Parts: sequence; structure tokens; C-alpha cells
Amino acid sequence: MKPHTEVSFDKLYKDFENRIKDLEKLPRVKEEGSVEQMLTEKGFSRRDFMKWASAITAMLALPSSFTPLMADAIKVVDRLPIIWLHMAECTGCSEALLRSAHPTIDSLIFDYISLEYHETLMAAAGWQAEENIEHAMDKYKGQYILMVEGGIPTGLEGSYLTIGGHGKKGIDIAKEASDNAAAIFAIGTCSAYGGVQAAIPNPTGAVALSDVTNKTVINVPGCPPSEKNIVGTLMYYLLYGSLPALDVYNRPKWAYRLRIHDLCERRGRFDAGEFVESFGDEGAKDGYCLYKVGCKGPYTFNNCSKNKFNEDTSWPVQVGFGCIGCSEPDFWDTMGTVNEPLANKLYNTTFSGLGADATADKIGVAILAATAIGVTAHAVLALVKPPKE
Amino acid sequence: MQTVQNKDASHEEVHIEQELEFSTFYRLHHWVRVLSIIVLTATGFYLAIPVIAPAQNPEPTNFMYALFRSWHLIFGFVMISMFIGKTYYFLFVKSNRAEVKSIKDIFRLENWAKQIGYYFLVTKHPQLTGAYNVVQFIAYVAFYFISLGLIVTGLILYVHVYHEGMGGVLYDSMRYLEVMLGGLAFVRELHHLLMWGTILFVVVHVYMAIFNAVYGKEGSIDSIISGYKWHRKH
Repeated sequence: MKPHTEVSFDKLYKDFENRIKDLEKLPRVKEEGSVEQMLTEKGFSRRDFMKWASAITAMLALPSSFTPLMADAIKVVDRLPIIWLHMAECTGCSEALLRSAHPTIDSLIFDYISLEYHETLMAAAGWQAEENIEHAMDKYKGQYILMVEGGIPTGLEGSYLTIGGHGKKGIDIAKEASDNAAAIFAIGTCSAYGGVQAAIPNPTGAVALSDVTNKTVINVPGCPPSEKNIVGTLMYYLLYGSLPALDVYNRPKWAYRLRIHDLCERRGRFDAGEFVESFGDEGAKDGYCLYKVGCKGPYTFNNCSKNKFNEDTSWPVQVGFGCIGCSEPDFWDTMGTVNEPLANKLYNTTFSGLGADATADKIGVAILAATAIGVTAHAVLALVKPPKE
Repeated sequence: MQTVQNKDASHEEVHIEQELEFSTFYRLHHWVRVLSIIVLTATGFYLAIPVIAPAQNPEPTNFMYALFRSWHLIFGFVMISMFIGKTYYFLFVKSNRAEVKSIKDIFRLENWAKQIGYYFLVTKHPQLTGAYNVVQFIAYVAFYFISLGLIVTGLILYVHVYHEGMGGVLYDSMRYLEVMLGGLAFVRELHHLLMWGTILFVVVHVYMAIFNAVYGKEGSIDSIISGYKWHRKH
């Protein structure tokens, strides 16, 4: 990994200032109140707000001198119209963001931003909702940010997913919305790679959002993704006015550059060879590595250990449960059984039930045994009837 | 060429002659690979599922998994150097045309029929121009590509553990390959499956070597140690 190219932070600061000024000139999509007002009403002090702003600044790898700028940027967040689409999904990404016991600043800001259309949140229903999305897409053509949650079913020409009174297909809505968007974010593993409904045998032919549009899609995978990665991606776009540096799967590098394993607090236990053998054993109590009980951290790129969940209290590995690899493509298929190491992945070798659910090693040993029998038989045969000279 | 007189059980005089079959490089590379495959397989099984627990130690000085990984990587790089060396040797070394000649042999159906017939103990061994028989040659080519697969998947896994130095240089290109293969988890899985390919190759290879030594009576096992095999002089 090469070091980041040197950027002049002075220049960047000026660019951000100008960008915020430009955004300020834009009309507010929301008429009432401001972010500060909303946060005060919800009981957050300015100190809380500044703490949050400095955390987001650090997360985007900007110097702390940018913190006041970040605070300013959040105040203009209501200038960016956002359309949030639900495709084939469980709404878990929205829920994770919105339904925390004590709403965080992230979720409140998300609540506050100019969501022009969000099926779970909007008050409108029926024809009114249809009108809302058409209106938003028309009014903010080429300006809105599109956030899509869920995979796009393509089976039966997309008929597995139809939405609204017009019975529009999900794939058509996604294509249309993408064509007129200023930036497209695929929120969650389903919209980034297809997700659980794209798992083998994928009956609905679900695919990633990036498979149905030619435009660049920023993937923010996770099941659900951390709310900070969602809001951070939004803030990045707001500040820079451009898309972030992306990794090989179009994920923002600032969040998905390193593996769970690289950032893991139990990595020392891994290198030491100290592993939890079963949940609740002595090793588990001492915080040993969870690799042998199926942690997929070595194959998964995300920043969970930095961001954490539930108001920054913890994350799966910290509580003693291995990573399931939810931010990787096809993780339902490639990561094997949840609480088993990848080496124990099961193969569907059902020769009339003979080799059902066998691991690679079991199959390997079986073939090896067959080879040994074959070799021995050949040797015995050759003893009885030597080869022609 | 040296000719040696020998008397067999029937007191009939048989003349045999010595032929240099395997050069020093060839033999050395063969045994280095034998050692590497053994070390890589043994450490690889541990890395997949760490079955050995380190001795209890109150100090944070246990590095058992890291140690296994180190040996795995060291011998992995030895395998890569052998792979490059063998590829060069096969393609460009003038004194080693016998190997390349085997390519011609595989395009004659008769060679296949006779070779398979010989292994089924019904026909005579075909007269070949190259160093290897056709079945053997195809097995070696398959093993070559298995090795290549192991090297590529191994390097993809490597760049995620060591981000500096060579890992840093290879990082971008390996990530590109990682996406082509469908993600790091599948790369890891493929690495494991290809290891099984190697194990099966080794078992069959060792058996065939013994079989040919016993029935070919040309000292072909010895030739991979001393370099020389023996022909009956006609």
C-alpha cells in the first residue's frame, strides 16, 4: 500500500470553505429549523456536536484543524436532496441507522437530511408517494444523491420486484433514478453486491446496483453498514464535491482499506497461536483469537473495530463472536459456515447422500484413500502379471 | 559413456551403459521442491486450522502462529524461485532439449495408446524421443499450473499480511487478481484445494517412480539422486 499522495491541507481547507459557501447559496430543501436547532431540541450540547464533528474529521483522515469546517459543513447538509430507494432488502440498513436506543448524532443527522423519498420514513403513501418520487427526481434532476438499499432482482425480466400503484419494476426505478443522480451510493451488502437474495441459487436473479447502471456506484457494504460509514461517505461528498478514493470493490478507501483482521484487537492472540476452541472456554474468557470458531476477519475489509456499534461501546469481535464477513461480495456463499473456520467450508457433494456436506479435507482424504487403493491394486496386479518389457 | 559388464542369474553377459539423465540443477531443484512441499503442506494444515496450542506463558512472547506462517512464507518464496528457475531451465537451457522434445510425443495417438496400455500391463512401453512419456508429461504440465495457482493465490494472501516491501509493490496487482477470482475468501479456498491437487500428484508421482524403477530396471530412482540411469546396451 503506497502512502497517500501529499496534499496541501491549506489548499484543501480553502476548497472546502468555497464548497460550503457554494452550498449555502443553494436553497434549503427543508424550510423549518436548522441542524443546530434540531440537535439542541434533542438534548445534544454544542460540546457533543463538536466532539462528533472531530470524530468524523478524524475518520476521513483530515487534520483536526478541519473540525470547525466539518461543523459548518453539517449545517449545509440540508441543501443536498437525497432520494433513498428500497429494492430487494429487509430495511435493516435503514433500521440500524434509525432505531438505536438512544439516537446518535449520526442517526439524527440522517433523520434531518433532506430525504426527498424514503419509503420507511416518509409520511406519504399510495399515489402521493408515487408523486413525491417523480417530483423529486424531476425537480432535482442531476443534483440529488441517490442512496439505494437492497439488491436488484433481474429474474423474469425484473418482475420479482414491483413497487407502487403503477407496478413499476425495481430495476426500472433503479435505472431511472441512477441516470439522473449526481452521486450514487449503494448502502448495504445487498445493493453493493446482491446480498442474501443473490446467494446460490439466486432464484430472483438479484444483482448489485452497479450491474444495472453504467454510472459509478460507491459501495458502502455491511449487513448493516456502520452508520458512520454511511454518514461519512455523505460528508465526504458534501465536502469534496467529488467521489472518494475507492478500493477494488468501489468501497471508500478511508473505511474499507484494511481488513477486520488488520485492525483487530485480538490480532496478537492470533499471531501467538492462542485460539478460542469453543464458546465459553477459558480462552474465550481471556480474549483469545476467534479464528477457530469461525471468525472471517482475515477475509473481510471494514473498519468495525474503529467505529464500533451501539453508541461506540462494542463490536462483534470485542464481545467474543467472530466476524461473519458481511461486507464482502457473496459472503453467504464464500464464507462457509458461520462458526467454523473457512477450512471447514462444506461442499454440496451429495452423491446420493454419500458425500453430503463434506469439507475439502474430507473429500481430499477420500480421494487420497481411493488413490492409495488404486495404487496398491496396480502394484499387486503388476506382481502377478509384470508389464511388458 | 561408460560400459559396464554384468552377469545376470542366467550367466548370460549383459552390457549396460550409463546416461546422464538429470543435470545437477534439475536434481537440486527437485529435492528443494520436495522439502518445500512437505514444509508447506504441514505448516499449511496448521495455518488452516491451528491444531497445536502453544505452551502457557505469562509473557507476551508467544508467536506460534506467526512462526508457522513465517516458515510457510519462506518455503513459499523458495517454491516461487524454483518455479521461475524451472521455467527458465525448461525453455532456454540448450543442454536440456529432451524435456521440450516431449511436447512432440504427445501429438501422436500411438504414444498414448501404448503408454496407457503399458500401465494397464497389456502393451509394451512406447519408444519416445523426449525425456518424459506422454501421461507423465501431461501430469507434470498439470502440476506446473497447480503450482502457478498456488503461487498466485499465495501471493494474494501474502500482500494482505505484509503491506510493506514486496507486499506493497505487489499489492495493487494482486488485489486486481483477487477481484477476478471472486474475493479473498475464495482465494483462500482455492489455495487449499490446489494443495490437495499437489498431495494427490505427489502420491501418484512417487508410486509411478517406484513402479518404473522396479520394472524398467534402469535405475530411474537413482537417477534423480546421482543423475545417471542405465541402459541395456544393444
